[in-house]
Amino acid sequence: MAARVKQIKRRGRTFLEQLYLIEVIKGMGVTITHFLRNLRDNRNLYVRDYPEVKPEITSRWRGRHRLTLHPDGTVKCVACFMCQTNCPSECIMIEATERLDGVAEKMPARFTIDLLECIYCGYCVEACPMDAIRMDTGIFSVTGTSREDMVLELEDLLATPGGFAEHEQEDR
Amino acid sequence: MSEKVTLSVNGHEVRVAAGANLIDALEAVGIDIPHFCYHPALGADGNCRMCLVEIEDGRPPIVPACKTPAAEGMKVVLESEKIKKIQRDILEMELINHPVDCPVCDQAGECTLQDYYMKFDLGDSRMDVAQVKKDKRLDFGGGVVHDQERCVLCGRCVRFTRQITKTGELGIVNRADQARVAIFPGKPLNNRYALNVVELCPVGAMTSRDFRFKQRVWFLKKTPGVCHGCATGCSITIDHHREKYKDARIYRYRARHNPLINGYFICDDGRLSYHLENENRLETPLVKGVPVTPTEALDAVRTHLGQAKYPLVVVSPDCSLEQLYAAQMFCLEHGAKVSGYSAAAIVAGDGDDYLIKDDKAANRPSLNLLGIDTSREYLREALGHADLVITLNNDPFTDGADADLSEMMKGITTIACATHHCEFFDNADIVLPIASYSEYAGSVINSDGVLQRFGRAVVKNRPVPELLELLHALGGPVADMGAAWAGMRTAVAPLGAVDPDKIGEHGMRLEGL
Repeated sequence: MAARVKQIKRRGRTFLEQLYLIEVIKGMGVTITHFLRNLRDNRNLYVRDYPEVKPEITSRWRGRHRLTLHPDGTVKCVACFMCQTNCPSECIMIEATERLDGVAEKMPARFTIDLLECIYCGYCVEACPMDAIRMDTGIFSVTGTSREDMVLELEDLLATPGGFAEHEQEDR
Repeated sequence: MSEKVTLSVNGHEVRVAAGANLIDALEAVGIDIPHFCYHPALGADGNCRMCLVEIEDGRPPIVPACKTPAAEGMKVVLESEKIKKIQRDILEMELINHPVDCPVCDQAGECTLQDYYMKFDLGDSRMDVAQVKKDKRLDFGGGVVHDQERCVLCGRCVRFTRQITKTGELGIVNRADQARVAIFPGKPLNNRYALNVVELCPVGAMTSRDFRFKQRVWFLKKTPGVCHGCATGCSITIDHHREKYKDARIYRYRARHNPLINGYFICDDGRLSYHLENENRLETPLVKGVPVTPTEALDAVRTHLGQAKYPLVVVSPDCSLEQLYAAQMFCLEHGAKVSGYSAAAIVAGDGDDYLIKDDKAANRPSLNLLGIDTSREYLREALGHADLVITLNNDPFTDGADADLSEMMKGITTIACATHHCEFFDNADIVLPIASYSEYAGSVINSDGVLQRFGRAVVKNRPVPELLELLHALGGPVADMGAAWAGMRTAVAPLGAVDPDKIGEHGMRLEGL
């Protein structure tokens, strides 16, 4: 396949451009035009009144993590450590234990995600053989007032519901 | 060297040992033949059929490699289409009723079935009938948990209990897809080597209750070591790992093959002795029970050493050869007497005729080699006029029979350089924590006179000094391992010809002990 070559014209080399002053005035012209237009009527400004108005994000957005449940309300995670093994920032820390409720043999006793270390790459979701960890909470703004606030434990992860109805369908 | 024969494998000529079976012979030259049931310690059983190889011009043309001795001129074919199909078919059969629960299986990562599937098969299941369900999480006793669904019926565990421990607790009952490994009702595994079946199992059917779900094996760092559980000094692999934000710790010991000492197996007591390395450890120096910095503690020891007229050093038979030599030189330097008495380490009647010894000290022959007195009379006499006792991880007074020695200790200043908490060490005037055997490099001599070297496995977040460094810091003349060996090779005749860097992974038998 032949590469398509597009010649780009180099700007900024002529005498008038080298003077800079004319270019500065032209640039200011653009700014002043916008200023005057918005001064008359600002209804067309490209601004969202965040946080009063939330942005619409797609269901494929990689937001904050959650751990999913079986339809009967039991934990899906079997503590196989695939997410922890694949995590490039090593922000997942699991402790496994024997599971005695008959659903599986193994379950997490602790499941910790340090959101300060997480890079939201989604490898944990891809690695999970149980579809137990997802990033579909729709929570894109993760804030906290201390380092400890940013560390999610098993209970936090299980308590967060999914943010998108179409994903809930996949649960069935 | 044993006799060699030349045979061709896939058209390439190799020279291998005569008489050995094809699996062992070719493994020695780096060619792996897949197998489940064969194990060098248990012999060929030939039930898994995974090791079938083609012999060109041979009668019969297809033979199990584990049952076929390497012979001159043999033309072995491992990569023919016929053999590949056999391997795929065997794997497909093994996987018919296998639960494929690798995510929750402790064996995942070191599982023969998993490895062979990835290497030879990679096929999808063609079964459209329900899988045969068997029992899971069966307590077989001895710390062994059995999963019948994962079993490939290689029979290694059964043969181990019949051939090695001669206890025969395990058997295979029923036939065909109902066949399963089982114990006799009410007769669980009851021998001191039971956990070897966990290691022998090529799949995850046998799991250890102790290690179960503790850690995934691919996180573990594997360092060769020597078990310090008794005088046998079995070769082990120390599997350790430092979890994020935590301290490094050991997760399990595994047997390391050593034909000079333990063969392929270790005892359960030794296997579980890693707990002692993780728990109850001394970490902070204490002077009269008050935590101090290491420098303050060393200064306090130096003051006592300077004032003492008749210091006495009590060494432990668990210390490494280098440490014992350093201690001996330290005593010469300070005019101290040195005793290696430690009757408490001997548990009479505990040993057996296989691997377990009565003597629970790992390095007692080194005491004799270096000429350190181990008699009770010598220690008693030295204690009679000693004004300072430095114990190097030895508590010679735990034994009830030594109550008179404990009585003599009263009023004598005691300095304990120790790894673990115990009543004697904790009550010493000065306590200096030192590294335990998984945290330093050294050498030990076992009861048969086999000298083994081992490297440092675990590095703690806050490492405590090794005994050799500590003695050097206190004015001992031996600066490091190199200096210790240089000194020992001139002073100790049986070590004269030993090059410490040439002691192999199996150690070497010392002559003239």
